[in-house]
Parts: sequence; C-alpha cells; structure tokens
Amino acid sequence: MVYASLLANRYLTSRVIPLIAVLAVALNVALVVIVVSVMTGFLDMLRNSGRTLMGDVVVTHEIVGIPDYERFLEVLAETPGVAAASPLIETFGLVRLPYGRDGESRVEPVQVWAVDPRSLAQVTGFAESVYWQAPSESARAEMAEDDPRLEEAAHRLDDALALNDPGADASIVLGIEISPFNRRTRDGSYRPEPPAAWMPLHDVTLSLVPVSSGGRISEPREGRFRIANEFQSKVYQVDSQRVLIGLAEGQRLLRMAEGPLYDPSGELDEDGRPLRIGTSPSRATTILVRGDDGVPPAELKMRVSTAYDRFLKEKRDDPEAKVKPPSFVDIQTWEERLIDLIAPVEKERDLMNVLFSIIYVVSAGLVLSIFWAIVHEKSRDIGILRAVGASRLGVLWIFLRWGLVLGVIGAFVGLGIGSLVVDNINAIHDAMGEPAPGWSIGLAGTLAAATLLATIVSAIRGSLLHGLIWSIATVLLGLVALGLFRHEGAVMWDPSVYYFDRIPSRVDLWRAGATMIGAVVFSILGAAIPAAKAADVDPVRALRYE
Amino acid sequence: MSDARTTIPTAPPTGVALLEAVDVRKTYQLGATQVPVLHGATLSVREGEWLAVMGSSGSGKSTLLHILGGLDRADRDGGTVRFRGTPLGSLGNRGLDRYRNHQVGFVFQFYHLLPELSVLENAMLPGMIGRVPFAWRTQRPELVRRATDLLERFGLAHRLKHRPRELSGGERQRVAIARALVNRPQVLLADEPTGNLDSRTGGEILDLLGEEHRRGLAIVMVTHDASIADRADRTRWLRDGRVAEGA
Repeated sequence: MVYASLLANRYLTSRVIPLIAVLAVALNVALVVIVVSVMTGFLDMLRNSGRTLMGDVVVTHEIVGIPDYERFLEVLAETPGVAAASPLIETFGLVRLPYGRDGESRVEPVQVWAVDPRSLAQVTGFAESVYWQAPSESARAEMAEDDPRLEEAAHRLDDALALNDPGADASIVLGIEISPFNRRTRDGSYRPEPPAAWMPLHDVTLSLVPVSSGGRISEPREGRFRIANEFQSKVYQVDSQRVLIGLAEGQRLLRMAEGPLYDPSGELDEDGRPLRIGTSPSRATTILVRGDDGVPPAELKMRVSTAYDRFLKEKRDDPEAKVKPPSFVDIQTWEERLIDLIAPVEKERDLMNVLFSIIYVVSAGLVLSIFWAIVHEKSRDIGILRAVGASRLGVLWIFLRWGLVLGVIGAFVGLGIGSLVVDNINAIHDAMGEPAPGWSIGLAGTLAAATLLATIVSAIRGSLLHGLIWSIATVLLGLVALGLFRHEGAVMWDPSVYYFDRIPSRVDLWRAGATMIGAVVFSILGAAIPAAKAADVDPVRALRYE
Repeated sequence: MSDARTTIPTAPPTGVALLEAVDVRKTYQLGATQVPVLHGATLSVREGEWLAVMGSSGSGKSTLLHILGGLDRADRDGGTVRFRGTPLGSLGNRGLDRYRNHQVGFVFQFYHLLPELSVLENAMLPGMIGRVPFAWRTQRPELVRRATDLLERFGLAHRLKHRPRELSGGERQRVAIARALVNRPQVLLADEPTGNLDSRTGGEILDLLGEEHRRGLAIVMVTHDASIADRADRTRWLRDGRVAEGA
C-alpha cells in the first residue's frame, strides 16, 4: 500500500520520539551482540587452547598405562591421516618449590606430564607455549622494554625441548602460574619478583607414586629436577597445576620403564631369586595424535581406534609378549576430552543470550508506549485516512510497517555499534586504562558550558521544558567532564585477575542474525497493539473536533 | 463476499436519486445514556444537485452527512441510505471503503489535512489508496497530473511542496477540496466548509464549490448559515432529528 509506506516513512523521519525507540532497539542489539561475542571469543580461545594442548585425538589408559606403546606408535605412523603422535605419562605428584612467599620451601600438588618434548611439539603447540624463549620479531615489537624475555639469558627453548634427550639432566618445565613469584602484569607478560626468584635459576624436588602394571602402588619416589623453563598454555587450570618432565625420567620414577618381568606366582630360580619370565615393556598412559590437515577429528578418532585394534590383535597373537595391552582404552577427540570445560561455557553463553534477550521485551514495551502515544495523537489523521477511503487493515499496516522499519534500522545500527565495539574492545579497554586525554576533558567542559548558557537563555525566555532539558544536559556533561578529569585509568579486564591477556571476542554472524531478527520481531510486536488500536479508531469521533 | 456487496453502479437507473436517505435513525450511546440524534431523517440528492442541509448546533447535520458518506452507520433497522439505488448497508466494509474513496469526497470545517504531507501529497492521498507499490511507478504520473491540475485551478500552483502549516485557512480548505475531488467523485459532502473562515475567504470557497457544481458535481453541504445555504439549489432543514422542507 503506497500511502502506508509514505506515511510510515514520514512519521519516522519527522519526529524525534521514534528515533528514541530506534536507539533503544539499537542499544539492546549492540548489548547482546557484545556479550555473546565475548562469550563466543572465550569459547574459541578455550577450544584453540585445548587443541593446542592435546592435538586432535587422545588415547588414554590411566594409571597402569599401555605397555609396548612404541609399537602402537609405529602402527599409528603407518595409519593414513595420522601426521604425528606423542606418548606421555599423566600422573599426580608433589613438587617442592625452592621457597614460598613465607620464605620457606613450598609444596604444591601438581599434575605431572612425563613427555617426549620433541614429538610433543609436533602434535601440540608445546614449543610455542614455552615461555622463556627468544621472541619473534613481531612479538618483540609489542613487548615492553623491560620485558625479561628480551634478555639473552632467558632464551631457553632448547632446554625445554631437550627434557627427554638421552643423557640429559633430570629437568622440569613448570606451568607459569605455579611459582607464586611470577607476577602477571597488565600487558599479560610475567615478571619474577624478586628477580632472583626467576624459576630457571632453581631446582625443585618432585615426588611421585609408582603404580605397577598390575595396578599396585609402590613406595613414593623422589627426584631432584633442574627447572629448564616454564610454559604458558593460556588455560589457567593447566598453567597453575601442570609440570612437564622427560618421559624416560618419568618412567624411571614411576617404574614404567622397560624392566625384567618376574613370575607372579613367586617361584624362585636356582639362585633363590624371583624367577624372571621375560621383559616388562615400557608403558605410557596417554598417546596424543595429530591428524593430517583436512582430516576431521571424528574421522581421525575412527582411524586411531582401528589402529589400536590392529596393535591389540598383534600383541595378543604374539606368544613372546608377556604383558598384553589393555582391551579397552579411551579414545577421544580433543573436543570430547574438553567437554567438561566447553559445555558449561556453551550453556552459559546460551543462558546469557536468553537472559539478555529479555531486554527485547523492554524495547518492545518502549515501542508500544511510544506508538500508543503517537496513535492517540494521530487519531485525527487516522480519521482523515478512513474518510478518504483507507481500510482498517491499511491503517493497521501503517503502524506495523513503522514498527518493522524502526526494528530493522535499530537492528542494523545495533549490529554496527556492537561490531564496532567488539572489533575495538581491547583498544577501548586500553584507552580506559589510561588517564583521560586533555582534549576530552576540554570538550566535555566546553559542551557543559554551552548547555549551561542554553539553560540560562531558556530561563530568560521562560521556557520550562527547554530549561529543564538543557539543565539536565548541563549536569550530565558536567559530571562527564568531572569524571574524565578525575579518571586515572581503570582496568576492568585485568589480566592479573582474568586469565586471558586480551579480551576475547568474535562476532558470531548466525547469533547476531538471530539477535537482529529477535529485535525486529519484538519491535513489530510492540507496534502491533497500538496498530490495532489505530485500526479501531472511530473516524467519526476522531474528526468531530479540531 | 459477493460482487453484489462491493459493486456500485456507475450510472443511475432512470428516475433513481443519486444519493438518498430513507427514514434514517441514529442513537449515540454516551456511557449509560442513549442520546437519539436522528429520528427518521429522509432526503435525496439528484445528479448534479447542490443541496444545503441546515440546522441548529447539535441537530445531527454532521451525523447525517457521515452516514450519507459511509463514514458512520445508521442504527440497526434504522433506515436505509442508497447510492444510485444500492443500499450502503449491503456493501460491507471493503465496499464502504471503496465508496468513500471513489464515489464521495469529504470536506470538513477544520480542513483535516495531514501535517506530514505536502500540499500535493495531501491532494493525491485518496488516489494513493488502493494502489500497490508494483504498479505505482506507472500510475503516479497520472495522479500527480490530476492533483496538480486541481491545485492550479484552485490557485495553489505555487504551494505544491508546502506543508499545510505554511498555508492560510482558505488555502488549506482549497487543498481539502482538491483532495476530495482528486478521485472524481459523484458527490461532495461538505461539513460547514466555511465555518472556520472569514466571510471573504468563505465566499471564495463557496465560489469554488459553485464552479465545481456547474461542472456537474452533486454537493451536500451542511451549514447553519442561511446566507451560505442560499448558494445551494435546494435547502432542507434538520429539526428534531427529522428533515423538513424550508425554514
């Protein structure tokens, strides 16, 4: 209907009040887009961190481990789609740090990964996560001048990669958050305080509890380890709890290295010693697998499972193999492995989406009240339209179309504001972290002075409405100027409190689209009731008086 | 809805009035009180006739005009209004909308122009109703030409892009008349068309109506001023809710 389009557009452009509704819808959409984008970015970072930590597929048989895992690695190497695999032992232990904050030694429970760092670096992002190493040129450009990583002495990547090299000293790599002396700064980097507490200068003692292939616990064993380096995976739980040692050293301490296998019945040999019946192969509790590019984790999981079945059959059929691999091992993709971490965040994001969507009801209410007032004011126009032949449906459509246009404009403006904030969220945050620049204080002060002048002029002219509006503007701008003057820099997303050094964010276009559609639907719903009221306007009554 | 309910004859059968009201009754409900306004009003308007309906304030003149124009309805079983012999009650809502849009034109005392639209757009408004956007591009030039012709004829050629608030009372009423005539209706229903104007401007408006009447337009004009009613071919009085001959 031509006239409905014409009038809806004129009503929208000739008045200020509908623009307030547009602004309300836009701010609602922007708010939802920003919140959901930060949650989505958080999830992305979790996922990326997870994959960086463990590759694509993880094979585990906890505590006891998988005997003869080297053969399984050979089978995996022959499996199409498998790019690399790395064995490790995952267990728990106690680490005695050189000193605690109270000046004495400090014992921390830790998750221990005994690894082969060189193969681990092929499967995961281990090499990149090693904290004390020579920074790249681009990273160097972003570092603060006093960042200790710029010093030559801190370039110790090789020490971390050599953990499991033959003949290497017993060394350990600590999660960066384990040491209480590593202070995280606002730019996300770490400084040892005092400098003498820099961990690679020290040793730790690690205590582990060995478990036999039969699952029996032995006497705890203890080892002294030189701290080779520290790592930062960017997942707090990992960085505050995990330590890495060499696989061979771990196998030795945990009694999982290759060794003689004695008759479990207790029979003795001719010399009166336990009867040796063969060799117990070395064991690893976990195999991390990375797939070739383009092989989905679920597909890789199936191939790894087939490879394990082949390995299992081979060992079962081998009469020389005295210790058989377990029939059942856990084979999970990295996403399945992290489900306990990812699923709650996904649920939280959905919950936030729903909760924040409630504010649509507020914007619908705002649209409703504004339109209601406008319909009341425009009832004479509606009477005129009816008098010249407009149908009730036509009148209804004017206001519905108005709500539609208002919702669409608000949704797109909101998406624009939201995207702008999300794209620059860290720059905005950084700017807020600094004292306000002089020009902003001057601008706010000047505007406050101008509105004060307008208030005085309005008062002289005797206009109460304009006087009130300008005086409110004066107070608000004055408060802004004062706030900027007193602002010394506030960091809301403090990396020393929150884990990620930058605020994660990514605009999820599907969710943003759903948000926009929601805003449009609620705008139309808000307009529907006043539109129906408009259609019900009695033209005779509306035209009776001027 | 059958065609019979929405189709209005374009030419009157022989001997049939253009627009007639027969024994029309109308009662308004004001809260719990029933206020009867028309008690069986009967009148007819012939093709090209200018009929003046006079009456005191509150006599029901405007109500009768609204019922004749299909803007209001008589009471249930409250008489009949026929246009070219077709009862308006048989038209249904859509048919009544079309009737108001094509067959009659309203002119009000207070002009009732839409403030957001320009003079030209106000005059074009009835012509826009019923148009769909797909065909609008081809239909628009003809409608613009018709509205512009009328406004030029009424001395408003220089005001086409102005808003109603920028016009004088007489100019606004001329725009309202142009709007009423743009769809070439058969009858113009004028409710105190000079009631808000000074006598000179009112005279100009009546001259303009007289010119349209001479072109063949039937006019039903409601007024309480006998000197204005003198311009009409015929005058009827509305008294006690009934139409009577002469004073």
